[in-house]
Amino acid sequence: MAAIFGPRANFYTQIILIGTGAVVVVLAALIWILPNTGYATGIGFTPPQPVPFSHQHHVSGLGLDCRYCHGSVEQSADAGMPATSVCMTCHSQIWTNAAILAPVRQSLADDRPLHWSRVYTLPDYVYFDHSIHIAKGVGCTECHGPIGDMPLTYKATSLDMGWCLDCHRNPAPHLRPPAAVFNPHWQRTADTPSLAQLMTQYHIHVATLTDCSVCHR
Amino acid sequence: MTEPQHNSLDLGAVRRRLARQSGPTYWRSLEELAQTPAFLDVLKGEFPAFAAAAATALDRRRLLQLMAASMALGGLTGCQKEVDPRKLSPYVEQPPGIVPGRARYYATATSLDGFGYGVLLRHEMGRPLKVEGNPDHPASLGGTSAIGQASILGLYDPYRAQSLTQNGQLAGGEDLRTMLVESGSALAARRGDGLRLLTGALTSPSLAGQIGSLQKAFPQLRWHQWEALNRDTERDGARLAFGRAVDIVCDFTRAEVVLGIESDALATAPGHLRYARDFATRRRADEAKAGMSRVYAIESTPTLLGAKADHRVIMTPVEIRAALRFIAGALHAGPPDWAKAQVPRADHLASLVADLATHRGRALLHAGREQPAEVHALCHAINHALGAFGQTLRAIEPVAAMPTGNAASLAALVADMQAGKVDTLLILGVNAAYTAPAELDWAGALQQVPQSIYLGEYADETAAQCRWHIPASHEYERWSDIRAHDATVTIQQPQVRPLYGGRSAHEILAMLLGTTQPDDYALLRSRWQGVSGAANFERFWIDSLRSGVVANSAAPSIAVAPRADYADAFPPLATGSSALTLLFRPDIGLWDGRYAENGWLQEMARPFTRLTWDNAAAIAPATAARLGLAQSDMARLTVEGRQLQAPVWILPGQAENCVTLHLGYGRRRAGPVGTDIGANAYALRSAGAPWSAGGLTLAKTGTGYAFASEQHDALIEGDDLVREATLAAYLHDPQSLKRKQDDASLYPGYAYDGIAWAMSINLNSCIGCQACVVACQAENNIPVVGKKEVGRGRVMHWLRIDRYYKGDIDAPGIVFQPVPCMQCENAPCEVVCPVQATVHDAEGLNVMVYNRCVGTRFCSNNCPYKVRRFNFFDYTGDDARPRESWNPDVTVRARGVMEKCTYCVQRTRKAMIEADKENRGVADGEVQTACQQACPTQAITFGNKSDPQSAVARRKASVLDYSLLDELNTRPRTTYAMAIRNPNPKIETS
Repeated sequence: MAAIFGPRANFYTQIILIGTGAVVVVLAALIWILPNTGYATGIGFTPPQPVPFSHQHHVSGLGLDCRYCHGSVEQSADAGMPATSVCMTCHSQIWTNAAILAPVRQSLADDRPLHWSRVYTLPDYVYFDHSIHIAKGVGCTECHGPIGDMPLTYKATSLDMGWCLDCHRNPAPHLRPPAAVFNPHWQRTADTPSLAQLMTQYHIHVATLTDCSVCHR
Repeated sequence: MTEPQHNSLDLGAVRRRLARQSGPTYWRSLEELAQTPAFLDVLKGEFPAFAAAAATALDRRRLLQLMAASMALGGLTGCQKEVDPRKLSPYVEQPPGIVPGRARYYATATSLDGFGYGVLLRHEMGRPLKVEGNPDHPASLGGTSAIGQASILGLYDPYRAQSLTQNGQLAGGEDLRTMLVESGSALAARRGDGLRLLTGALTSPSLAGQIGSLQKAFPQLRWHQWEALNRDTERDGARLAFGRAVDIVCDFTRAEVVLGIESDALATAPGHLRYARDFATRRRADEAKAGMSRVYAIESTPTLLGAKADHRVIMTPVEIRAALRFIAGALHAGPPDWAKAQVPRADHLASLVADLATHRGRALLHAGREQPAEVHALCHAINHALGAFGQTLRAIEPVAAMPTGNAASLAALVADMQAGKVDTLLILGVNAAYTAPAELDWAGALQQVPQSIYLGEYADETAAQCRWHIPASHEYERWSDIRAHDATVTIQQPQVRPLYGGRSAHEILAMLLGTTQPDDYALLRSRWQGVSGAANFERFWIDSLRSGVVANSAAPSIAVAPRADYADAFPPLATGSSALTLLFRPDIGLWDGRYAENGWLQEMARPFTRLTWDNAAAIAPATAARLGLAQSDMARLTVEGRQLQAPVWILPGQAENCVTLHLGYGRRRAGPVGTDIGANAYALRSAGAPWSAGGLTLAKTGTGYAFASEQHDALIEGDDLVREATLAAYLHDPQSLKRKQDDASLYPGYAYDGIAWAMSINLNSCIGCQACVVACQAENNIPVVGKKEVGRGRVMHWLRIDRYYKGDIDAPGIVFQPVPCMQCENAPCEVVCPVQATVHDAEGLNVMVYNRCVGTRFCSNNCPYKVRRFNFFDYTGDDARPRESWNPDVTVRARGVMEKCTYCVQRTRKAMIEADKENRGVADGEVQTACQQACPTQAITFGNKSDPQSAVARRKASVLDYSLLDELNTRPRTTYAMAIRNPNPKIETS
């Protein structure tokens, strides 16, 4: 009767044991790493748009205010996307024949909206309100990144819940004076009120900012 | 309960048990009183019918079939063309005033019975989403009814007719225009001979004006009216009493003694929302400055007013007539010998008469539309004798444009149709094929009409019989105008363009008059330009549209005096017999059947039976015992040879030998939701006996029936869940009513330094109308689950109105108690959740985090109030309503998730954000929950209890305040103000 275990059985056992351990470690690492990769968070991702709109050109170059196009950002949960007619206030005068603006002119001519791709999306059970963040001195770039320097708009932050909570637990470093909220290039200077002063000025109570009902309804 | 409980109930034992107990006993059903084993099971279980559902487990074969089907369907969803959620589509030209994400409100009116109730529709990005009452409208004052709340679902109903048909084939708009304009000119040539118009009750001045023009153009045109739940008896009663038709407008704020004769004043009468508000202001013992009113009710079947009455006398219809004659005689409003006649409950009535007599000018009688003309005439005469006119009520010119009695009008039309005198019949929204009296051969007569044109919202029974079916627009899709109960006009503005291409009555009539491109807006404007008399018409028009009320359009009072001989034509009173009487009653949800397709109204529990998705032959316990009928027995009802099968419901508080059957059920062609639900009472209803038919026989068929009643859902167990006291006791020593609450704890209490949301519900004000339940459903995206699921106890309503009976099973007292989530400070649900999906927030809300919930249902098991609801299936996904009709401010819950009332957290959060942006606190009254806003009687108060000046804090400081199951020390944020009754000390109460 032949032996049940051959001469190489010990070797295989070790391979299997070490291999299993390695797979577990790699899997655990992947579970940890994958959600934080750009692929999962979408950070740095630039979705294709009907018109290659450049914030860099319009904001930093021409000095347009954010609210010229995103008009309801101070009043409503939605920042608002510009109607075609807003684009056409200027583009009925300049670059009237530019090929890249053809979809805009077509939209106006056909009375059909432009369909922009969302750069930022939240799940349906999350209720984010732009207006309160603006009112409390959170600048646009805190979430939208260096938007004023983006030739094409890309996603700058993950918007996952941990990222939201980082700020809701400690909002002070993300605050700025009201006048600076829409300035994409604002830097803290010596004259800027201190973090504590800003917290008092905006009446922010950190203790209630992490209640579930703040965002989930 | 799914299982019919045959013969499990021994009524004799119930009576004996009740007799042994001392003091008031509250009970919810006869089964509870009897403590049947089935009831005890229900009380102990969380979702008691779940065991039954699990027991009837799928066999393996069926399971595999279902799995295959769901795989196939799951694959199919990938093929649907969906709006890409990853796209943003801004306007091409943003309309002025629209701010994305902010709600806007537009005024219009919703109709019931042809009368308008002012509403404000909440719009999000141009989509109307929620109905609220218009505080400026005299028939609403901010309140809404369940039907009004549910009208928004009707707007989006995908089963509304979408295609124009001719002889059942699709037709084009051009065909219709050609047909109408051509038949218009052909008819004009013969002066309209053979043209008939059939409408329901209508109060629209513009539509009436258009019909006037039609009558001018076609002098031979005859206009018929058929409203199944018409108010002919009221009109005839006024004719008897005053010699002319009048409408009565009541003022319950001035009435110190109210007598309702099976009154629908709080339920369905024109102006009922206003009446309910006024009524409630005089019923709050602690707040009514002018003193609390006393209410008597005489009725055969329970009404909402009867449930609120201090003395409710149960009588058969014949006895009601005798009693009113007695009262009229005693108050010198009729022949004096009436007061000497023998009447049942004579001592009771004598005390009532004395009470009325001492409140001249401050008393009010109101009779329901179901009462015969004689009763209405007697009411008018007694009201006049009591000096009520000009004080507690006033007479006005009839509001509705109603040329003739409904029954006679329809009978004349059918006779002419049969005689071949009608060649073109235009029906504007009257589903006569379903509602016509049983003895009329409507279908046969219609076949004699060469050209029948039906304008209706649904492809219903009548649409199937007519040559042309024109889909009608919803009342939120068209320009029109409508009058309220006091004749106040609202200009109805469209809230959206017709979703399914519907057309309005204005358009059809205009085309018949030869206009090829009718324009309702221009028509309405030009008409009002003519009659408004305003110096600045543009101002008048904008103001009327914005406020939802045409200023100063209420009708002036007219003087009326009863004729001396009004009683001469009264038929003699039949002698009492034990024969059964069948009572036909409007349904508070489906009305005459026109809302059968509305799932919210089908699934709304009826106030007394707590039935959903069904009507029933309701009989008194004593009658059931006499006839040997048990709950849920199928019975055969026979009236004049016509038969109908309906299940039996034993209804405490029903008059003996009276069987109540609600109309509006048993639709043959309602749509996928409402077809073949319940028994069609119209099959037994004749024109001569529209509301009560004698000579009924009721026979057991031997089979049973499974109801889906919420009567035993969410049962809670406690010592005194509802609390009542008398006004005398309250005035004598209010502090004696205060319940001592012992909330001692070893742990220090949690300090709520900011806002502490809280609610107070006044049991004195709640009339059980269910408006809050439907409002909650509309606001919070609550799905409809269907009869089967309701039967398993899986109804999803976050707010329910429990109905309690008190005492005697034949004539019980009735109390309604709305039960939302109590938002306990020591919430038992929170400690058992393994994933912290339900936790507290800083304002003290017991928050439900849907995205965390894994569906263990431990929380629901541990909730003593049974207010948590579980998504056993993908109810919201299965809902046929279009996705744009859901409220975007509230998460649409998926399968496997627990949900419950959140005090409308989306509203409180919005208000807090608005206040925070302005660095101020939330003002008292700035947030209203959906239930509070809908409530016609303002029974619900909501606000910040930390602010001692807030309305809710003041109510909670009242001695009447108590909390439910306080012995559990849950410290609920929702508390109740106990009910106060104001009985006449001269009447012995049982």
